[in-house]
Amino acid sequence: MNLRILLWLLLLAAVTPRAKGDEPQRPSQGNTGPQALKNLSLEDLSQIEVTTPSKEPTKASQTPAAIFVITGEDIRRSGATSIPEALRLAPGVEVARIDSNKWSIGIRGFGSRLTRSVLVLIDGRTVFTPLFDGTYWEVQDTMLEDIDRIEVIRGPGGTIWGPNAVNGVINIITKEARDTRGTLVSAGGGNEDQGFLNARYGGGNGNDLNYRVYAKAFTRSPEFHPDGRNFDDWRAAQGGFRIDWSKDQRDTVTIQGDAYDESAGESVQAVSYTQPYSQIVDANAALSGANIMGHWRRVLNDHNDIQVQVYYDRTNRQEANFGELRNTFDIDFLQRIRLPARHQISWGLGARVGPVRDIEVVSGLTFTPSKRTDSLFTAFVQDEIGLVDHRLSLTLGTKFLHTNFTGHGLEPSARLMWTPSGKQTVWAAFTHALRTPSDSEENFNLSGYVGTAPNGTPYFARFNANTNFAPEQLNGYELGYRQLLTPKLYVDVAGFYNHYHDLFSEDITGPTFLETTPAPTHLLLPAQFRNGLLGFTKGVEIAPEWRATNFWRLRGSYSYLHMDIEPAPHSGDVGTAPGIEGSSPQHQVAVQSAVDLSKSLQLDLGYRYVSALPGQKVPAYSTGDARFGWRIGRQFELSFVGRNLLQPSHAESGGDPGPLVGIKRSAYVRLTWSR
Amino acid sequence: MTTLVGAADLPPLEYQVKAAFLLNFTKFVEWPVASFAEEHSPFVICILGEDPFGAALNQMVKGEGVGGRNLIVQRIRRAPEPKSCQVLFIGGSEKDIPKTLAEVGPGILTVGEGETFLHDGGMIAFVIENRRVRFDINQKTAGTAMLRISSRLLNVARSVEK
Repeated sequence: MNLRILLWLLLLAAVTPRAKGDEPQRPSQGNTGPQALKNLSLEDLSQIEVTTPSKEPTKASQTPAAIFVITGEDIRRSGATSIPEALRLAPGVEVARIDSNKWSIGIRGFGSRLTRSVLVLIDGRTVFTPLFDGTYWEVQDTMLEDIDRIEVIRGPGGTIWGPNAVNGVINIITKEARDTRGTLVSAGGGNEDQGFLNARYGGGNGNDLNYRVYAKAFTRSPEFHPDGRNFDDWRAAQGGFRIDWSKDQRDTVTIQGDAYDESAGESVQAVSYTQPYSQIVDANAALSGANIMGHWRRVLNDHNDIQVQVYYDRTNRQEANFGELRNTFDIDFLQRIRLPARHQISWGLGARVGPVRDIEVVSGLTFTPSKRTDSLFTAFVQDEIGLVDHRLSLTLGTKFLHTNFTGHGLEPSARLMWTPSGKQTVWAAFTHALRTPSDSEENFNLSGYVGTAPNGTPYFARFNANTNFAPEQLNGYELGYRQLLTPKLYVDVAGFYNHYHDLFSEDITGPTFLETTPAPTHLLLPAQFRNGLLGFTKGVEIAPEWRATNFWRLRGSYSYLHMDIEPAPHSGDVGTAPGIEGSSPQHQVAVQSAVDLSKSLQLDLGYRYVSALPGQKVPAYSTGDARFGWRIGRQFELSFVGRNLLQPSHAESGGDPGPLVGIKRSAYVRLTWSR
Repeated sequence: MTTLVGAADLPPLEYQVKAAFLLNFTKFVEWPVASFAEEHSPFVICILGEDPFGAALNQMVKGEGVGGRNLIVQRIRRAPEPKSCQVLFIGGSEKDIPKTLAEVGPGILTVGEGETFLHDGGMIAFVIENRRVRFDINQKTAGTAMLRISSRLLNVARSVEK
């Protein structure tokens, strides 16, 4: 259903081994056929992916990229109540909760509140904002019960996904409407997740048309504040719908939309050129938005199809120090064509236009111009070449892009995959990816209050808009290996070396001078966001999974990251590199155990260790989650969830003014009714 | 490689797999003798309403048998008479499934689609999970209809209601 996913797949589809004569017992997509299928065991039948290769990703295990899939069931059993919390299940992703409604998230480094350089999509709709090329996680939500899966791709995906898929891609994919027929209501509450109510109804005409509608609301209490400023309370309501219509397996049309309204408590620095110059304001941000999307796909045959996707998205943010009203119109076209000699060509076009209006609340945070239209135009072409039938494949492609911030850009990639057997995959990739400039570099004026001179003149520093900000650039080198070691033990290892240049820096651009406007006269140290940093990151992620018995599954991951960022020669950077390096953990360990105690009782335990973040003054921590689920009859499930159980509270990331916020031990109970 | 023509004859892989499961179910469920009209009556898989299997199910049952009986597939338009079918597949497109199921007598294994099918009174429901075809079983309903489901099938099921 999702265009970009598809695109991604395309990249992978050519390389899927298909069951051939030499491997009759190993089912796979492609050319099974009734006669082959009828001789398979029940277990083998249960393992066949039934959605066609052109429609869905090939198996994650046969993808030449570091992909990890979090299923809806994984989310349910984790006890997560938000999308960012669910992302903790993926290796190589750094999720740190700043407070009740804010997270710092990064993939393979560069963790920050803004999650820059990670492209995030919900059903193909890009939810990252050109305001700063990042994602406001607190407004990315849906009914968690309706999420089919979250595909997390670590590493650059610029060719397929477009700009800003530099460090990774997070694809949130909801279920098709035919898989959510019936009524589901879940409600509960606890000490942090004080109260929540989710309701969905799905139906259809019993034939080719299915739909669902949902609504959800929650209220969440502040986390632990050593200074007692409990500003981060959070209330939200959201509703939405999805309609799927298909005709003869040939045409598929989806129309979906969501709307939300939130009040998220925050603490922000408000700087103005008039007194009091600088103050910390604790207030509720008013956040609202809506989107509507249409998607049409026509399948010509297994390897040829056409897709068109259109959406409109509106977001409205009103914070204590700035406001923004943004509209986004997006259209994408994609075609896949099979050519002789094992060439699978994909090409596509996309356009996105976003009229935006920024509202000045304080004189220390302004955009010039405040009314703009951001635009992005893309084209891509890719060829998947089967070098050795079903064993060795090469995928070459490039994206061309043009934005209002920069001229043309190119994002080429090459991926090689070798599958010596159905149980082993070795892959390697080279990618060039770009993070395009955003409003926060090109149009943004951010002031900080330094102090007052002895003669009483206020002294400010200001990052002035830099219309010459260049794209950040990445050359990524990756190597991966996956193997089904025994029928019950699977391991996935990926390593990377990413070389960055023209990275974002904070530069002083001249000596302090007396500035008269904005009044009153003040001292100003001029500064700018420039491209003064460069460096590399390297690391490895190891993710084994062991299905010990049919009622016990044990999964884990270890992620290692080394970041080496430094100012380029002649850069005027004020010394931001250590803070960037010190905001992503060098070591992360996670273990998840899922046990079915009986047909109606489930016990899930999770443990994680995250090494220190010196850039955030956060010490290393380890903590654990637990969930006990009890299925009562056909229609009810009662679950008890405890999160962050190993200490009363622990800090995960800085980000708010004042002392670090402690993330509290929390518990809630949930009752789910479905029929 | 599947040609255009070949693709047109066969249903999507999802329904080929479901057809193979249907065939498998006949091997892992015990029907009482009273489920059949006569000693040599064929074993009949009935498809109620629109048939999503196309040619796949016919190709699979060709030459197959169940417990010494010939295996055949019939398309029917309304709830079957007792002893006329041993497996009844009800497609997702059928209207008023609970009413149809209420009319089905003992000795017939009812198979349908989607999580609601068991709640509607069915015995085995196909569900798509993680892009794969899985199935849930309501053992109690099957037991009431005098059918015994083997532990082998129960083990492969995604969930079993007892």
